[in-house]
Amino acid sequence: MARLLSCTFMGFIAIWIAFPILVVCLAALNGGRTMFFPPEAPTFDRFTEFFLTEEIWVRSLRNSLIVAVGSAALAVLAAWPIAYGLWRRADWASKLLAGLASMPFALPPIVFGVGLVFFWGYAGALGNLWSGIVSHAILFLALPLTTLSIGLQSIDRAHLDAAATMGANEATTFRTIILPQMLPFTASGFFFALVLSFNEFIVVFFVSASGYSTVTVQIFNSLRNGFTPTMAVGAITFITVSALIFSLIARFGNLPQLLGADSRKPS
Amino acid sequence: MRATQPAIPFTVARLFQKFVVLVLAVVPFLLVFAISFGEKIEGAAWVWSFELSNYKRFFVGADYPNSVSFLYLKYLWYSIYYALIASILAVATAFPFVYLMTRLSRRVQTIWLVFFLCSLTFSEVFIVMGWDILMSNRSGLPMLFKESGLTDWLKQTGGLDIMRDWGLATPRNVRFKPSEFATILTMTYLVWPYAVILLYPPVSKINNEIIEAARTMGARPATVVRTVVLPMVRTPIVGTILLLFVFLLGAYVTVAVFAEPAKHTLSISVYEAVRGATLNAPFGSAQAVILLLTAAAILFFGRRFVSHPEGR
Repeated sequence: MARLLSCTFMGFIAIWIAFPILVVCLAALNGGRTMFFPPEAPTFDRFTEFFLTEEIWVRSLRNSLIVAVGSAALAVLAAWPIAYGLWRRADWASKLLAGLASMPFALPPIVFGVGLVFFWGYAGALGNLWSGIVSHAILFLALPLTTLSIGLQSIDRAHLDAAATMGANEATTFRTIILPQMLPFTASGFFFALVLSFNEFIVVFFVSASGYSTVTVQIFNSLRNGFTPTMAVGAITFITVSALIFSLIARFGNLPQLLGADSRKPS
Repeated sequence: MRATQPAIPFTVARLFQKFVVLVLAVVPFLLVFAISFGEKIEGAAWVWSFELSNYKRFFVGADYPNSVSFLYLKYLWYSIYYALIASILAVATAFPFVYLMTRLSRRVQTIWLVFFLCSLTFSEVFIVMGWDILMSNRSGLPMLFKESGLTDWLKQTGGLDIMRDWGLATPRNVRFKPSEFATILTMTYLVWPYAVILLYPPVSKINNEIIEAARTMGARPATVVRTVVLPMVRTPIVGTILLLFVFLLGAYVTVAVFAEPAKHTLSISVYEAVRGATLNAPFGSAQAVILLLTAAAILFFGRRFVSHPEGR
């Protein structure tokens, strides 16, 4: 009885979370220009529009990809030395640095967005694609920082001592012991940052100005004219990318451990 | 552990890298703070200055003491109101779910986690789009109400008038947006997966043996939850509510689409001042600072409220 009740509850939750997503995705099949649910005169024309023919969507999708991949790579590169210093030294300076570097992610993003408008305004880079990439790299630095810290903490100290006894210096130990074990955590950090950057709206909304737009900004800007089924294709693309990446992380990494659950049990 | 000193250029490069990160992460916030004391020049941009007029305008209006306006305090109130209700609703409903989820096998847990991570990262613009379709008049909920005869039933029994008082109906039909209901519903939905992900680590550490021990000693399930489970997770629950609250304080798209203009929040007016129609960067900064201070204050009092019962 209790089991049945809990299954019903969990099923209900699954529907509550999945239903709005499903509605957006199915709306992409609409034949006309308006969003109907269930879709009317289903067609796949919207897909060719989104990916190939409509300049505005093709361009913003390309921008979204550039910003996401670029900022995630930059975030991982910036996070590595900070996480490594935090693990090796654990002094107040590295703790402070890690704390300050996570600040943009922890505070309401709209405030960081406002600050970035001023910052890039003074640097003369407001509305550039590269300043958008850097903005996202800093905003999502906390993610690779977290996954890398979790990974470094799970490294067996005995391996390090053994390496030191055998005369390996820091660089050798890093290359032969730490780096190989850290690859899954580096990859997860990269992909977490990538997916979040891909979907982020408010900070790009502030810093992109009229220089360029990503898919999320373009959708918000087109909102005045109402939603169109072509936008829903964007939704399908985004949810597919997320599902793919998180499935890969779950397949090749330890997702419960990455999210902070008890890590000693092997999956 | 013995460490050989790395080469000097490498150390310099590493220090430089940390310096750049620090500048990029901290200076934008400092700029917001500094510019909030600036002065707007009529018909032009703004200049550096040190005056409190922007803050005065926030609390009592620009024309004080001749007249008083609480417009921006009202925006702040709606920011807090939506965010608080939505974050409490999300945690209250997500907690039992997370508890049930962590009792499943590791494999099934991972599948659920992937599902929630997908919905968590799904952009706010798409989520708003989904609920917009679901609450629009020609499809979604109002259509469902009409087709199932619920609208007619409500009309006959006077339920529609009650719903009109709540802002959820027009004289002839139900109408869910714009309304407080739509705003809070979408916000709750927005942070629901966050609640799951944040509650997951502490709840997964709840030991089954303790619960079984309590059960063996004759405690009923409700008693176990009240006396064993809840005290163990009080701190993470309050912590999660606080984090979701801070996140929702800055919600933009949901409010812009689903709230009536009179019930907009501070994040809307911050955008208007910095990038939008009114273009008053110092005043926008002052509002952003107040948003931050509100978040800080709530976090502070929230932490005090929990006050670590386990003595940690």
